[in-house]
Formats: sequence, structure tokens, C-alpha cells
Amino acid sequence: MDNPLIKSRSTQQLLRYAILLYWSIFWLFNLIDKAVGGAHFLWVGRDRFAQFQKYFASVGLDSPHIANAALAVAAALEAFAFVFFAGALVHELRGRTDSSHRLALIGTLFTLGTFTFFSIGDHWFGDRFELLEHTLFWFVSLVSWVVFTRLKAQAPTDPVALPKAQRLIAGIAGGVLVVVTATAIFRHNTTDFPKRTAAIAAEPVGDHIYKVAFPFLGGSSVFENSLALFKEQHPNEAIQHIYTVPNPLRLKKADALIFYIITEDTP
Amino acid sequence: MTERRLLRLAILVFWTLFWGLSVTDKVIPDVQHLWVGKDFFALFIKFFASLGLKDPLFATAALALVSGLEAVNFGLYLVALISFRKGDAAVTDRWFFRAILVSMVLFSLFSIADQVFGDRFQLLEHGLFWIILLASWVVFRHIPMEDGATLGASPSATTRGWVVGGLVLTLATVATLWRFSDATFHQVEAPVAGQEVVDGIYKFDFPFLADKVVWENTVNAFMDEHPDLKVRYIYTGPSELNSKKKTHLLLYVFTEPA
Repeated sequence: MDNPLIKSRSTQQLLRYAILLYWSIFWLFNLIDKAVGGAHFLWVGRDRFAQFQKYFASVGLDSPHIANAALAVAAALEAFAFVFFAGALVHELRGRTDSSHRLALIGTLFTLGTFTFFSIGDHWFGDRFELLEHTLFWFVSLVSWVVFTRLKAQAPTDPVALPKAQRLIAGIAGGVLVVVTATAIFRHNTTDFPKRTAAIAAEPVGDHIYKVAFPFLGGSSVFENSLALFKEQHPNEAIQHIYTVPNPLRLKKADALIFYIITEDTP
Repeated sequence: MTERRLLRLAILVFWTLFWGLSVTDKVIPDVQHLWVGKDFFALFIKFFASLGLKDPLFATAALALVSGLEAVNFGLYLVALISFRKGDAAVTDRWFFRAILVSMVLFSLFSIADQVFGDRFQLLEHGLFWIILLASWVVFRHIPMEDGATLGASPSATTRGWVVGGLVLTLATVATLWRFSDATFHQVEAPVAGQEVVDGIYKFDFPFLADKVVWENTVNAFMDEHPDLKVRYIYTGPSELNSKKKTHLLLYVFTEPA
């Protein structure tokens, strides 16, 4: 079935929708992340209060009210960016391109302002990685505005939907690929998922030194279960030290976590 | 203000602040009250020491040269911004072009250094900044934008409606932020409760707000609560033990009877 929206709109118009939709969703989820706060069932997000509080504490401003105030400014910028992009999308869908253009411009200005605000913080708190991240987002926002204004809302309609024969071939090829990939993934799940919790037996590599090589699925449960197993298998030894192999000593991406248990005989 | 002027102003303000704060970061050394920044002196000393040039004179001279260039560069952006404020487009273009050119030279120099010192991540970072600068100039100078349409001080009724929506959303978000802050701020120093996961081994799941003070309070509280146990060893769980972004820090305390 042809999607009537796709068929009746030009490719340029669809890209204009895509740009407005992207930024609306981007800011909406940033706002939700701020409103939710902390990790919950079905939402992890990022604890922005903890992040801001630590940043300000690092410059000697420990009061939570300062972090709250900075977060409030950020939330306001993000809320307005979201509202204007969402408004632009609504007007765009109704064919009011002038209103859409004006609201998208205000949304873009709020976006640029938000990332400029964050960049000031990044310099201040010495977070160079976040500075790069925010500068990139600033740039993406600027470029997306330029692209948005270059795309014509009333451009001649280009066919987007595939002809019937191509659709059939693409459907068959896509279906085969989906089946092959899904089978491989489900098979991998059947064989490897138990590794998420299963204890790993420590392998002796020296006098009172044992190696534990984690699978990639391993987490804190595997660690704890492995220690319990180790204690059960070596009742006459006490753990003296655990040495975690640092990244430079691992085989690039092929090794997951490796640690050594150093023990001594119990008296 | 017209659309064109607004976007040019946003570009100018961003880069002026970027370089102004970069210069400030070089002027303020190390970590101070009200400023952390990045310790470029330590970074340069380590870079030059890795080449075998351990005399601090090399790092100091290089940092002084870079800082001087950055200061000059910031001055160029400032002149461009002032010219923009005065409405002199030709002068603004000239000074902004000079500023962009010097910035690109600076990032080229940084990239040479990144290759010499083998820091590929910084090479990527500087390469990205370089291309963003170049693209900023193209957008600033060469992309035609509407000069007729203006965003006036008295917005239309539709725009006012969206502003009200933005205000409501801001207030709702700020209220939940405040509630979350009140509910969690005690975690800045409250000790974390341990859970015995293996006989004699206790796990502590630290919250995101926790820092060294929480660690100290946790260990002291644990010892107070367990006078019959002696802490034998403390293991900091590496990031691989975390549930992706959900867990901040896991700490394991190994004990034995006192």
C-alpha cells in the first residue's frame, strides 16, 4: 500500500518535516529526562542534578540551589526550543510555511543559545569532551537550519514510493536478510544469555594467583557469583587482593574484563 | 532584528565566548575557587616529556606562544562583535574572517602537535573544531538568508501562544527538578548501605551524587555497624561491572572476623 503522505508530498517537504520532527523529539526527550530525574524502571536517562551539583561543587559552589538554578535556566531554554519546534511542525503540517519558518527560526535560536550556554559551562568546569559534544550539536543545529531554509515546501512532487516490481524484490531480499539475521541473533541469545549471571571458575596461573576472564555479558552478578564459587572451591585460601587488568594489557576489543585473585592460606 | 542578523549574531557570540573562555582558562592556572578549567600546563609538560624534552622551558614557551595567539584571536572576534553591534557589515566580515583564519591556523598547529605526540582523540577533536569553524564562516558570509523578515519585540498572537506553552512547560519541569533535588541532595554525604553478596563480602552501590566524602562516611559507618568484622580489602568495581549508565560506582568490601 502506498503511504498517501509519502506519495503526495515532495521529497523536500518530507525532509522539512524530518528536520522539525527531529528537533522536537530531541528537546522533548531532554525535557522528559530532566523531569523524570534519576534512573527508574523503563527509564535510565542521565542524573542531571548530580552532574550539575558536582560541576558546581568542583568550583566551590556546594549549595544545591546553584545547581537547581542552572538546571532551571537549561530547562527553560530546552522547553522553549521544544515548544517552538513543535509549533513549527504543526504549522508545517497544516501548510502554513511562513509561520513554520518563523517558529523554526526561534527554535533554532533557542537551540544555538542552549548549546552556547552549555559550552560556557564546559570551559568553566574543564570538561573538554562535553565542549566538543556541545559544539558539534551547535553546528548540527546551524546546518540543519540552513538545510531547512534551502528546502522548498512547495517543490514539485518527486516520486518517493517504489514501483511494484522493485517493492517485491526489496521485500523478498529484505525478508530473507531479516530471517537470517534474526535466526543468528536468537541462536546467540539461547547459547550466551546464561553468561549474564553464571559464575566463572577461576583458573590457576601461578602460586596463589588465579585468573578470571569475563564474558562480554558479565556484570556485577557474574563477579559476585564467581567470588562465591571461588570461596567454595578454595576453602583454605583467603582473598588477599584482586587485580583488574588495565585496558592497555587487554587484546584490544577481544578481551572483556579480566581480573586476578591473589590469595594466601588461611591460618 | 532580521533572520540574517540574528544568525550572524549567534555565530559571533558563540566563537567570541569560545575563545574568550579559552584565554581565561590559560590565564587561570590549575584549579582555583570558582574556576576548574583544564590544566594545560600539566598537559604540555607531559606531552613534551614524552618526546624526551623534560626541561619545563619547552612546555612553558609552547604554551605561552599558543596562549598569545589565542589572545590575539579573541581580540579579532571581539572587534568583529563590536563592529556587528555598530551595524557595519563590511568591517564585521573583514574582522570575522581574520579571526576565523587565525583560529583555523591555531587548530592546524594543534593538529600537528597531536600527530607528533600521538594523541589521536585530540586530533579528531581539533579536526572537528577546524571544520566547524570553516563551516561557520561559510554560513556567516556565503549562505543567503532572508534579510526582509524580522523577529520583532511584539510577537504575533500565535507566537505568544507558544511562549505561554513554553512557560508552562518550564515551570512544570523546574518544579519536578526541585523536588528531585530535595529528595536526593542528602546523598552528597550520606553513607551508603552495604549488602552482603558473598559470605564476608559486602557490595556498596554508590549514587551519582557520591564523591570521596560519601566513601569515607560509608567505610566509617560500616565499621561502626560491624564491630565484629575487620576490613581486609576494598575493591573498586571497574566500569564493566556497571549496568551501563544506570550504575555510578560499585565498591566491594572484603572482611574477616575481627
